[in-house]
Amino acid sequence: MQTNVRSTALQAFSEAAQTIVSPEVQKWKNQGGKIMGYFCAAMPVEMITAAGFLPFRVRATGSTGTELSDAYFGNINCSFPRHAFNMALRGEYDFLDGVVIFNSCDHIRRIYDHWIRQMKTPFVKILSLPRKDGPAQVEWFRDELAILREHMQEHFRVEITYDKLREAIALHNASRHRQRDLYELRKTDRPPITGTEMLAVTVAGTAMPPIRYNQLLGELLEDVGKASGHSDYRARLMIVGGELDNPEFIRVIEGQGGLVVTDALCFGSRLIWRDVDQSVSDPLTALAQYYVADRPSCARMYTRYEQRVEYIKKMIRDFNVDGVVYVRLTFCELWGFEQYSLVNDFKQSNIPLLCMDREYTLTGVGQLRTRIQAFLETLGDKHG
Amino acid sequence: MDEKKERSLSRMREEMAMFQPLLEILKADPGEMGNLQAFLVENIISNHKVIIDCVEQGKPFLASQFTNPVEILTAMDVPWYFHVQQQFAAGGTGGSPHTLEDLENMDRLGVPADCCTLLRLLLYYQVAGLLPIPTAYLALTEPCDSVAGLHAAFMNHPDWRDVPVFEPEVPYHDDARSYDYYAGELKRMIDFIAKHTGKTMNMNRLKEVVTETNKGYALWIEYSDLRRAVPTPHSYVMPLSGFYTLNTAGAGEPEKTQWYRDLVANAEARVRENRPEVPNQKIRLLWYDIQPMFFSELVPWLEQEWGAVIAMDMVSYCPHELVDTSTEDAMFRGLAKRALQHGPMIHQARGLVDNVISDIRRIVTDYKIDCVIFPGHMGHKDMAATASIARETCRELGVPYLYIGMDICDKRYTSVDQIKDKISKFFTAMRLG
Ligand code: SF4
Ligand code: SF4
Repeated sequence: MQTNVRSTALQAFSEAAQTIVSPEVQKWKNQGGKIMGYFCAAMPVEMITAAGFLPFRVRATGSTGTELSDAYFGNINCSFPRHAFNMALRGEYDFLDGVVIFNSCDHIRRIYDHWIRQMKTPFVKILSLPRKDGPAQVEWFRDELAILREHMQEHFRVEITYDKLREAIALHNASRHRQRDLYELRKTDRPPITGTEMLAVTVAGTAMPPIRYNQLLGELLEDVGKASGHSDYRARLMIVGGELDNPEFIRVIEGQGGLVVTDALCFGSRLIWRDVDQSVSDPLTALAQYYVADRPSCARMYTRYEQRVEYIKKMIRDFNVDGVVYVRLTFCELWGFEQYSLVNDFKQSNIPLLCMDREYTLTGVGQLRTRIQAFLETLGDKHG
Repeated sequence: MDEKKERSLSRMREEMAMFQPLLEILKADPGEMGNLQAFLVENIISNHKVIIDCVEQGKPFLASQFTNPVEILTAMDVPWYFHVQQQFAAGGTGGSPHTLEDLENMDRLGVPADCCTLLRLLLYYQVAGLLPIPTAYLALTEPCDSVAGLHAAFMNHPDWRDVPVFEPEVPYHDDARSYDYYAGELKRMIDFIAKHTGKTMNMNRLKEVVTETNKGYALWIEYSDLRRAVPTPHSYVMPLSGFYTLNTAGAGEPEKTQWYRDLVANAEARVRENRPEVPNQKIRLLWYDIQPMFFSELVPWLEQEWGAVIAMDMVSYCPHELVDTSTEDAMFRGLAKRALQHGPMIHQARGLVDNVISDIRRIVTDYKIDCVIFPGHMGHKDMAATASIARETCRELGVPYLYIGMDICDKRYTSVDQIKDKISKFFTAMRLG
């Protein structure tokens, strides 16, 4: 599917999504800016922004192997941390001034253990992110954030004032708002922006200074407004899963005629669908409430399966989705059991669903194409 | 009783029928170890009876997990069953007659095959209606993604969707703040149990129960120390599994404390008289993972073929501390710490790799270990990412290390013969035995 959007902003986003050290990252670094890496969508990036640093979500974009990290991870570990840690071992993350890791999953949490042993990053912390979303968990996570704030202040000799946190919350909420505006345009019969492009936009949002990002988002919204919509698709698809940061994966799907109109992904809509509540007077509580309880949850939040299904179903209605493609990185237990539940529930609700395991790097493109084609066949040519 | 309820008890009834003749044999000719073994078997049978009675009579009971302090449940006088029990009980008794059929049915569920078999099996038991539906459910949500992932799927089952559930949320850190937080979860758990079963907590009774389990733990520490002796006094299967069974199946009963006392006495006598249960011991092993369900096909082979004894294993080695019962707060904090730090699997797999490193260091030194076997269960993704650190620790200690890669529930993944072959080659290459 060809792009209909002429936009330098979109080019900047694609560039940021296709590389690790994009020109924006390089510029920030050249200007003496500090960069804090993190792994999970539940990281309150506002804390990093409030410190005056660039929040950078670790990916393994461009990775070609796991030759170094194989010494630390086993062959039953998820390929995302294996590739990401491999890049770290190759020195490709040496530009980070710090890393914050969560007990996101069994694979990612072990990155912390290896990172502190193998890497020289001066500031590495692990936070305990609850898997439940009750008031006690919000309070716990608020304390985790307060401790992180203290550690950052002490280590980097910066002040993360409540005012700065409030500013950062407003800034990131503004990003989310504009990103949602883009999603909004995809609800139409002729969405002007493809799923490939949208994923590049949201991925770029995790790898760019937020002020610059918001400015580019503004430009992109204008450019998209001028673009004609896509009508040359066979079906409207939604992608569901956890870690997926490669727009090229979506490009393969869209190349078969399935236009991806929305998603429930950790680099996609789950990042942006809700805002942090700016009316809460204590910004740390506002952040904890948002990241533990209010944002759309992922499969590690075991008490919120029903809400996740509701979230997907609402998306299906709002975006007029014909079929759902569920992607899971092999060896991911969280999204593995989730798959089982979704298959059963979607069968009952007559929602067409295609489940696919994948590796972090884009492999088996031929097979991917075949499976998408077959899926599209079953959906019928609804829009052609 | 309706058909569904009857089916949900069928495996318990079968197990009882299977254990009964074994119990009779043990009682008729107990030998030196028979009384200890008989007690364990009786314990399983009596727990099953209690649950069957609850289902038949409509009395409240819980499904629970080994991480939820049994002291609390005992003190509240509410019966429970541990819902991964069937798989573990099978391990202790040489395998359930249903294992293969269950695994094949499990395969058909559609959970990706790389997800932990132990929990896929559990899901199968649920789907097949083989788990008694409790009045309320105390879930397990740590130490791994599988339990968290399974939990969401488990509570989505139509028959379980309306079962009230409490999930004690486990923090990742190990510090006073974490223990206090978890103590708060335990208190909320008590309110939950009271609300759904009508049972109340009596703090004096809790203190009594904890005092009794403390005695059991103290004796277990003594017993663990006795296993340091060369030769080690006992074989593996019975005593170490016994620890597991007794701690998950009940607490606070003086008879259980007495069982520990008898175990210690027997071990002491064997050490004193240099009369180990396994003669000709040549290799002292540390088995660092949970025991496979088919362990009864491996342990006798290890002992007889190679003179290899498992002097200590991961499940049994936890740095047990006694719980301070002086105040209510101290007691809850102690129980929280016990749940987070002393529970098998939770101690090793939750949190940083530090516990694994210090366990290996201490066990290898204290138990004069000749080699460490890291079975590498396919469900333990965190352990797969820990293996390199374990290997490094062994290298520093100068002790040979073997990573196998198996499925503790499913011999089809790595067969017993393949496991034996790997172990034999390893022993030979390392000039052990
Ligand atoms: S799936 Fe959950 S734990 Fe994994 S990155 Fe996404 S938010 Fe974090
Ligand atoms: S895909 Fe699953 S296993 Fe892989 S990093 Fe994300 S949550 Fe962890």
